[in-house]
Parts: sequence; structure tokens; C-alpha cells
Amino acid sequence: MTTQQPILTADAILERGLKNLWYPICPSHMIGREPVSLRRLGKKLVFWRDQDNKVHALDDHCPHRGAPLSKGIVMGDRIACGYHGVQVRCDGTVTRVPGSPGCKLEGSRPTQAYHIVERNDAVWLYNATENIDTPPPLVLPAELDADGEFSSFLCYTEWKGDYRYVLDNVMDPMHGTYLHKQSHSMAEGDNTAAFRIRDTDRGFVFEKEGQRDVNFDWTEWADTGTHWMRLEIPYPKTGGPGGNFVIVGSYTPISPTLAAVFHWRCRKLDGWQRDTWRFLYRNRLEARHWAVLEQDRVMLEDMEPDANQNEHLYQHDMGIVRLRRHLKNLAKAELERMQQGKA
Amino acid sequence: MDRYLEPHQARRHEPTQYESLLGDAIERAYAAGTHDLAGLVAYLNRTGPGPQEGEVWTEEVYKAQIAKLAEE
Repeated sequence: MTTQQPILTADAILERGLKNLWYPICPSHMIGREPVSLRRLGKKLVFWRDQDNKVHALDDHCPHRGAPLSKGIVMGDRIACGYHGVQVRCDGTVTRVPGSPGCKLEGSRPTQAYHIVERNDAVWLYNATENIDTPPPLVLPAELDADGEFSSFLCYTEWKGDYRYVLDNVMDPMHGTYLHKQSHSMAEGDNTAAFRIRDTDRGFVFEKEGQRDVNFDWTEWADTGTHWMRLEIPYPKTGGPGGNFVIVGSYTPISPTLAAVFHWRCRKLDGWQRDTWRFLYRNRLEARHWAVLEQDRVMLEDMEPDANQNEHLYQHDMGIVRLRRHLKNLAKAELERMQQGKA
Repeated sequence: MDRYLEPHQARRHEPTQYESLLGDAIERAYAAGTHDLAGLVAYLNRTGPGPQEGEVWTEEVYKAQIAKLAEE
């Protein structure tokens, strides 16, 4: 029997997520000592914590016959497949085949392992093309610096549809004026605007001309080893001191029809102002922010999967066009590397 | 649920009545443009609710209690 390999395209690469980048996978609390199977980035992955609380990740596929390792038993930094007891270490090496000691599977490294870091209440995975010993650093914007001036909360959601619709949504500040008109923070701003693109050393900013700190007025897209987006929304006076409310977003494909959506809600505050914001956020602001985010989710989930094949874009969509072109070029480069056998 | 949609990911318990009253009062003070600590403390002493520990709000009492509430 032969299996016909599907022809890989740049679009298919983008659908499952670009390689060699860090991606947020899930909130930290979702991973415990018991193995957890999660589908992300076109793969089924198993995650678990060892006795030192360190998170490990492997392809959720026993190298013996493909049984899910997530049905196995965690043994510290190894996981023993529940099917035949084959033990796979967190670096992808098979350490023991109890049914056939000394077989050539023992000592080989057939399973892909993934480097994991935990930052800002999320588990991040380096989506390497193959087993590597040292990943590049995960660099996040200043708003997510652990020792920085910002305080933040993670909001994690899963939305139906391709994650690229989420990217488009965030790269489209003008929807704030309409979709979010009825919200606690986006009632202001002109309902027409001219936009421009400003390059930065790590990406670009798509921004309204002559309108800043009024509504959702700009979005930054950046690549610092992970792809993230950033925007600011002015808080109403009830939000207290501390200036604008900042959102950092990063988005990971679960499947072509489901996206993992990470938003860190940040404010530059310290002392009693920081504590008061954190109290108000827990007590009431989180619910208001949730209502705004739900407006996006409902709109995006009701879009046809091929909606982006039949569009009539205008000036407000320059940011989307730029981002799509940039991602497409990255995917084409990845495709070329794969074809040259050095992805 | 076929996907993760949890509206409350930050809070660790349902808001208590006291917390909601205090939240209301802080937002009213903020809405009135009172964004400094002395003004906020004076506002809370004028309108309530009082502190859960101690008789009146002072800047120190507020800082200590809001730090605790921020993490509860």
C-alpha cells in the first residue's frame, strides 16, 4: 500500500503554524503531574510536570507503534507508554524497552521533544523542526517582563476557526469603533480614520493618523522569537490612574478549525495603584473585558471558513494585507528550506 | 463545552458583598477624577465602606488592605 503525500504549500504551512518559533500553548494551570494530551500546531503533543515542577513535552506518539504516550505513566523525566511500557525520556530518547531489552530502539532518539518555558502564567513551546539541544531565547515585550513596571493577567480562550482570523481581527483597529462601540472602554473616537504603517526594528505598527489614545488606535506586530501583537486602549476615568490599558496577544493554531487565543491584559502601575487595579480586575473589570472579547469571538466564529477568499478590502485593511504578505513570505521561506532538506 | 471559554480566570472566589461595595466606591471616586491616594482615602471615609480592619481608612490601612484584596 502506498500513501500519497499531500503537496505542501505555504498556505498549509501557515495553517499549522510556522516552525522555529515559540508559541504559547496553554495556561500553566492546565499542566500537572498527570500527562495531558493537547493538539497544537498540527500535532498531538503530551505534556507533564516532573517532580521539580518542570514541564516537558513530546509528540504524543509512542515510537514503538504510535500509541498515545499521554495514556502512559509519568516516571519523572520519562513517560512509560501504557501499551507496552516503552520508556521515552523528555529529550525524545527511548531509555528502556521492557519487553525486549537490548533491542535497537533502546538508546535511539526517535521521538520529537520540545523545549518548554513558563512565562506570564502560560506554557510556551519552541516549535523546532527536529530535536535540538538549545532553543533561542523567548523574548517578550516589556509589558510581560517579570520584573518590569507592568502588571498583567492572562486571558486564555479557544475560538472556532483558523487562528489567522484572530490575527486579522487584532490587526484591524477600526473594528473597535463599531463592534465594540457598546463597551466600557471603546465608545470614543471618530468613525472614520486614515491609517499608516510604520516599520519598527522587530515588525511594524499599523496606526491611525492624527488619533492616538482615543480608542483602539494602533496595533503593533512583532517577531522576537515568538510572534506577538500589542495594542492600547484608553481606560475610562473609572479605571483610575495608570494610563492606557495594554493588550499583548499571541495566537496558536489548535487545528484548522480551532485557535488558542492568548491575551495578556497589562497596566503600568505600582504600589497601591497596582493593587487597586488587580483588585478591581478580579472583582469586576475581568467580566467587562470578557464581554468585549466575546463580541470578537461571536463575530469571528460566524465567519465562513473561506470568508478571506472573497473580500473587498479598503484602506483600513492595509495592516492585514501587510501582515498576511509577511507571513506568506515566512511560509515560503520555510517551504524552500524544507525542499532543500534543511528545514 | 467543545472549547475553553472561562470568563473568570483571574479571581479565586466569588466576589464578597464587601469587595463589591468597596469596588463600587473606588470606581465612583475614580470616576469623579480622584486618582490620588489621599483623595481616595478621604472619599472612602466619607462614603464607606469602612475598612475591615480598623476604624477609619488611612493611607497605610488602605495600602495594606488593598494589597491583601488584590491577591485574594
